[in-house]
Amino acid sequence: MWEDAIALFREYAGTGLIVIWYVICLIYLWIREKRKYIRVLLLYAPVLLLLIYFNPLFAGLIYGLVGGEIYYRILWLLPMTVVIAYTSTCIYGQLAEQDKGRLRADLFALCAVGIIAVSGSFIYNSPLFSRAENRYHVPDSVVHICDAIQVPGREVMAAFPLELVPYVRQYSSTTCMPYGREMTVERWNYYNELSEAMEQEIIETEDLVSLAREAGCHFCILPEKKKTTEEPEKYGWIRILNTDGYIVYRDPAIELIIP
Amino acid sequence: MENAGKGNGRVIIQLLVLGILLLAVPVMIGGLFSRADRGCEGILFRWISGQFLLWAGFQMICVPLILKESRFGSVANLFLGYMLACMLLAAGAGVRRRAKSAESRFAFWKRGRIEKRREGLLLWAVFFALLFFQLIQAVRLSYADTDDAFYVAVSSVTESADTMYQILPYTGLATGLDIRHGLAPFPIWIAFLAKMSGMQAVMVAKLILPVVLISMAYAIFYLLGGLLFPEKGGRQALFLIFTELLVLFGNYSIYTAENFLIARSRQGKAALGSIVIPFLLYLLLLLMKRLQEGWKISPALYLLLGAGAATGCLCSTLGALLICLMIGIAGLLGAVFYKGFRELVLLAVCCLPCVCFAALYFFY
Repeated sequence: MWEDAIALFREYAGTGLIVIWYVICLIYLWIREKRKYIRVLLLYAPVLLLLIYFNPLFAGLIYGLVGGEIYYRILWLLPMTVVIAYTSTCIYGQLAEQDKGRLRADLFALCAVGIIAVSGSFIYNSPLFSRAENRYHVPDSVVHICDAIQVPGREVMAAFPLELVPYVRQYSSTTCMPYGREMTVERWNYYNELSEAMEQEIIETEDLVSLAREAGCHFCILPEKKKTTEEPEKYGWIRILNTDGYIVYRDPAIELIIP
Repeated sequence: MENAGKGNGRVIIQLLVLGILLLAVPVMIGGLFSRADRGCEGILFRWISGQFLLWAGFQMICVPLILKESRFGSVANLFLGYMLACMLLAAGAGVRRRAKSAESRFAFWKRGRIEKRREGLLLWAVFFALLFFQLIQAVRLSYADTDDAFYVAVSSVTESADTMYQILPYTGLATGLDIRHGLAPFPIWIAFLAKMSGMQAVMVAKLILPVVLISMAYAIFYLLGGLLFPEKGGRQALFLIFTELLVLFGNYSIYTAENFLIARSRQGKAALGSIVIPFLLYLLLLLMKRLQEGWKISPALYLLLGAGAATGCLCSTLGALLICLMIGIAGLLGAVFYKGFRELVLLAVCCLPCVCFAALYFFY
């Protein structure tokens, strides 16, 4: 457990530069801070919290109760942002109050900004950010497909490619799926035959049609570029829409009663 | 053309309703806490404290009804009643206060404060520019986090199916009651906002809430800045700029609260890390400061701490542990350094909501 807690701390700290700066700030507070209530909550409390975090007994207890995956969230109780911002501002103020210290204070502020930029990582550079395609913040393809297949007053069952699966039910709660986001998380080890069939490099059409019917899918959505062994139309599927690089098929064999 | 006009009109009404629910109502209810401490008349303190009281009430109303497998509509109706009752109480308290003193109404705009702000005008301009940039990015950019497939889908399905945690959000198939997530019903609160405003839950969660919650996080930093730098207007702005930079460059790990705030603000755990915990830190700093000055601690401050504890549970099931740990450590240190044993007991009482929800998690 203790090793796991350390590994999580390392992951939380990233390169570790921010943590080093945080520790320097704590030392500054220890030496310079006069107000006791600030010392208590911004200096002593975090130290006590770290002792608790790295305590193998505590770690073992929490791992046992809620699992180890979210143990790092205890580190949210370390007020790193507040302490670093507070200390930097204090140092700035200290320098500014000295004779002709304004320039030095401004230089320090610029250095502090530089240190933050170098030790951290700009959040909008994350590859997970992208320009929102619409006001729902889900891919346009999901909006167009769900709008096309929805039937007023009832739910529909549709098999989607895995890249669209996480977004479908955020946008449309009446679009049900035979498998969901759990298939996209490798470590969860879920298996679904239909999802496997959908993700094959070349789809075995006969297998796909049979599995989709077994799951009661009214619709099946395939990427335009995906190759199939045979045309799905051969098995009775009807191509109803071609949008945003996806083909939407309707399987008339699965009854869709419109209330 | 006519349809587009109607659509725009509808969106404006939806935004207006959300503005009332997320800004005007909490600011009004926050008036209940204007006597919690000196300086609590400020509009930002009122906004945040009012929202915390609303969140705490939502948690207290929603969880028992989830466990009873009630309809979502019942939660919405009861919570509306609770909101109205709080507003009436706040209005009553406001009338009484005004009768006593007309001055407090304008406390936020005291002359001294404005002068102090002028000192750091450039710094304040930089702060607001950076804040504006983050809010624009929250609307403009989309973050691909697959956890939304759970949380946002829960909000969507709750609003449309009128059930709570009885439908698998990933697939839409029926399931037994999901207790683990049902004890932290932040997505149900989003569904409530969607139901009241008529806006789709996905839009409320991914377009509106990031703007509101990021603003709220900085409002809390503003309060913290006011406490840490009480006499120095320019310093407070500099402190806020540093916090903004630390948030903006907080992507050194995907686990940081700063990352959660910008990337996943619609998820309860983000609110826990970047709103609930910083606000509790602010309240605890206020409490310790008053202990040091030998002031009597207002019961309203303890009530707010209790509301914060309940809000922590609303955001995440782990919130119960984190809040108890935070208040517990602060209480113990307070008892050691200020001999505040009475305060230690009262802080323990504030943790009761967490203890109750944790007990439900393990024994229900």
